[in-house]
Amino acid sequence: MSSLSGASISRRRGNANVRSERRFVWLMLAPALLYVAGFFAYPIVKNVVMGFQDYSITTFYTGEAPWVGLANYAQVFASRVFSVAVVNTAVFTVVSISLQFAIGLALAVFFHRKFPLSVALRSLLLLPWLLPLLASTAVWRWILDQDSGILNQALGFFHLTSSAIPWLSSPSFAMISLIAVKVWVAVPFNLAILYGGLQGIPGELYEAASIDGASPGQAFRFITLPLLRPVIGVVIVLGIIYTLESLDIILGLTGGGPANSTDTLSTLSYLESFERYSFGTGAAISNIIIVVSMIFTFIYLRIDRRPAQ
Amino acid sequence: MVKRQKLALPLGVAISLVALAGCSSAPEPAADVTLSVQDYFSGDGAAIADEVYNACAAEVGVKIDVTHAPSDGYQTKLLQQISSRTLPDVAMVEGAQVPNNAQTGAYAVLTDYGIDGAGIPDGALGYGKLDGKLYAIAPVVNSIALFYRTDLLEAAGLTPPTTWDELMADAAALTKGDQYGFAFSAPATNEGTWQYLPFLWSNGGDETDIQSPQAAEALQYLTDMVKKGYVSQSVLTWGQNDLTEQFVAGNAAMMINGPWIFSALAKAPDLKWGTVSIPTPDGGPTVAPLGGEAFTLPLNADADRMKISAKLLGCIVGPEGQKGFAKNGSGVPTISDVATEALATYPNLAAFAETIQTARSRTEKLGVDWPNTSIAIYTAIQLALTGQETPEKALEIGAQEIGKG
Amino acid sequence: MSTIVSAASRRARRPRYLSTAFGILVVVIMLFPVYWMVNASLQRGGSAIGSTLIPINLSWSGYEAALREQGQNLVTSIIVSAGTVAFTLLISVPAAYILAKFVRRGTSIFILALLVAQMVPGIVLANALYSVYSSLGILNSIPGLILADASRCIPFSIILLRAFMLALPSELLEAARIDGASHFRAFRSIALPLSQNAIITAGLFSFLFTWGDFIFAVTLTTTADVRPITLGIYNYLAAQQQEWGPVMATSVIAALPAMIILMAAQRYITAGSLSGALK
Repeated sequence: MSSLSGASISRRRGNANVRSERRFVWLMLAPALLYVAGFFAYPIVKNVVMGFQDYSITTFYTGEAPWVGLANYAQVFASRVFSVAVVNTAVFTVVSISLQFAIGLALAVFFHRKFPLSVALRSLLLLPWLLPLLASTAVWRWILDQDSGILNQALGFFHLTSSAIPWLSSPSFAMISLIAVKVWVAVPFNLAILYGGLQGIPGELYEAASIDGASPGQAFRFITLPLLRPVIGVVIVLGIIYTLESLDIILGLTGGGPANSTDTLSTLSYLESFERYSFGTGAAISNIIIVVSMIFTFIYLRIDRRPAQ
Repeated sequence: MVKRQKLALPLGVAISLVALAGCSSAPEPAADVTLSVQDYFSGDGAAIADEVYNACAAEVGVKIDVTHAPSDGYQTKLLQQISSRTLPDVAMVEGAQVPNNAQTGAYAVLTDYGIDGAGIPDGALGYGKLDGKLYAIAPVVNSIALFYRTDLLEAAGLTPPTTWDELMADAAALTKGDQYGFAFSAPATNEGTWQYLPFLWSNGGDETDIQSPQAAEALQYLTDMVKKGYVSQSVLTWGQNDLTEQFVAGNAAMMINGPWIFSALAKAPDLKWGTVSIPTPDGGPTVAPLGGEAFTLPLNADADRMKISAKLLGCIVGPEGQKGFAKNGSGVPTISDVATEALATYPNLAAFAETIQTARSRTEKLGVDWPNTSIAIYTAIQLALTGQETPEKALEIGAQEIGKG
Repeated sequence: MSTIVSAASRRARRPRYLSTAFGILVVVIMLFPVYWMVNASLQRGGSAIGSTLIPINLSWSGYEAALREQGQNLVTSIIVSAGTVAFTLLISVPAAYILAKFVRRGTSIFILALLVAQMVPGIVLANALYSVYSSLGILNSIPGLILADASRCIPFSIILLRAFMLALPSELLEAARIDGASHFRAFRSIALPLSQNAIITAGLFSFLFTWGDFIFAVTLTTTADVRPITLGIYNYLAAQQQEWGPVMATSVIAALPAMIILMAAQRYITAGSLSGALK
């Protein structure tokens, strides 16, 4: 991607061109820079600093938060729940991203062809993301209830299971249920973005390929995927970030239980800060989440820099 | 990070207060003062609260601005207000949160402002104390008791249980088909701890030592109920609200819940139910936790404004206010005389009034350290009820986590 | 749509009803919980416990309460969401264009900053904003909410738009410049129309993020004057007495205008917007 004022042009037009381009760039970029700096700089810095402080509920009034260095981090790493939460977070993130993306891509490809009602149906599929999480998680809790939930009743009716499955009340099943609900909520996100990306691929490319005798599978591999790569990258990296910080969906569905089986780093951070009032350790955990996210971000930026075909 | 002092005070009020500065105690019609009152009531509860606030505002001679904030994240809102010095003039705080809030230093000691909770017994008064100082008063308190289906018990030839053995036997007899004999709340939240406490305390256990044999016995009792199938494993996910729904739907013959559900039960008029104190190991008095909301007086740099706010608070938690809050039978007034009156209107409150006599405040011994113990307890409950650990081991794991934070 | 008529597209002129059927099946499966929500909203008790598969004993009380009490909140939500979309796109589209087409040294750093911005927990931002808003006196204001909600939308939109804009053909833009157009002209007349899909998608999600926001709504408002629907729902959820009927009814009712807006927007996501450009 080269700057528009190619060398020859600017030498012809001189410095005025370079200046006007610079002005253009800054004018277009400045509002975003100002906004991001204004809104995010202070909270990010504050959160990082809090991780090194003994920040208690009293601090909210007195402003005093003694420096404790790495003590918060040491405490966090040493706790039983932390190791459980790390594993849960990894499982939750990897599995739900894979499923959201796969289903989202499959649906995006499906809807790519025009058929009657496709717009309406595609819009209806936005509903899981549209409905308030408060209401959705409540409904899912009713559906998944071991005794009176419709899912177990249906499974029993069709003789698919012999006894009621404890979807939310057993540590073995709770994570599966959580992942399912998370995927349900997140598919619209993947679908809508991937669909938009697919629409941006010129139709002639497919026609040329089919004239050359390529199968749909080959077209997908050699045309769709490479051209969709920037969009796929965005969907996955953002999906990872959003999944890592998922809080309300977990609190609403399982509260982190039963027995810590759905506790993730973000529920742990919430617990430390808002139930124990230990904001220093809470911030420490959320900083850990940020560092993990940044690792994926670096991978994304690395991949992103390689030019697409 | 030192926060600057900030006053959220409109100019007009400031001027009027200066004018008022020289006045004496009689409620001057100081119509220019608008005090802010904040709580987390909604629906019926909010309507009742509004009546009380308005009546008291009229009596004290001020205008009020009432905010009913969502209950979700209410404590976070208080923290934001504490930090920016924008707490309202009268703020409601959930009972178990009083010590942590008081610790910040943002709230006044009520006795300094002439509010001493006259007529309220020490137990209920202790509910709003930290280190012996009174920071909050609850106009009505509640607790939990055993709700049971009178028709189902009668049909099975049973009388309401009073001992643990009777409760387990009744639960066994009443478990058939889709119906579980008993239900209690055991989620990974403070509600789980709350419902376990009557079993812990009535067995002689104490929250200061959750590894005691009495604590393990209490937890074992509840675990056995689930293991034997008298209680659904879903209790691990049910809050008290879910219990009500299950009870109304006929999925549970008995449950532990509180008087705040009376209006919800009234919506199912065909349901025949009764209440009795939670059974104890040997039939002795039940020791259950006190619950309910308390009102505080946040500190304000304007001393005169605080005096007026104190008067408003005094009225809200006084006899008239208590009568008002007790209107939907959701709690028992803390002033004994007012309580007797309320019982006449709501006979179903009898079991709760009886329980409250011997009830305890959750924070009375541990104060600001209560949250850690509460978390430890519900962690242990979940580990035990899922069968992952024995009750003893579960409580041991929970106890290990208390040293944190 | 491509104007080349080929054998394939001639075949496609016959409506693909099989696809429609499959599409309907997918929707039915995915939206069963939504149906369950509607079912619960019509139940007498307001919850789905012990309810039948189809609401037989209908009770509209949930809807009555929702319509009576949440109308104002619904309007507030729509205004805040629409405002946030406008504000977000105004800031994000130009920025994304620069990041896609004018690579400078700081580009990667800025993108990293945007991604990190997405990682900050909402509560941390909300706490920070509360003090500022309180002292500036912009609590309980629609512009205030718009500014705050944009914090979720702007980083996302810039990242998304940039990914789409990377595919914009630089040759076209250069050609315009050679013909004497200013940078801005090239942006406005060429880049913007070609980025239609991306802009609509970014706008769509800005709308959805804002529509579903709770943390800023609860932190930055104290009165009922400006109360988005996510907050209005709590009217029925007292700490100990929860009425799910009106909650579900409100959620269903709130979804309707949002769906209409989103459906209208989605119509504009057309295929092959770049196809004509290469000619």
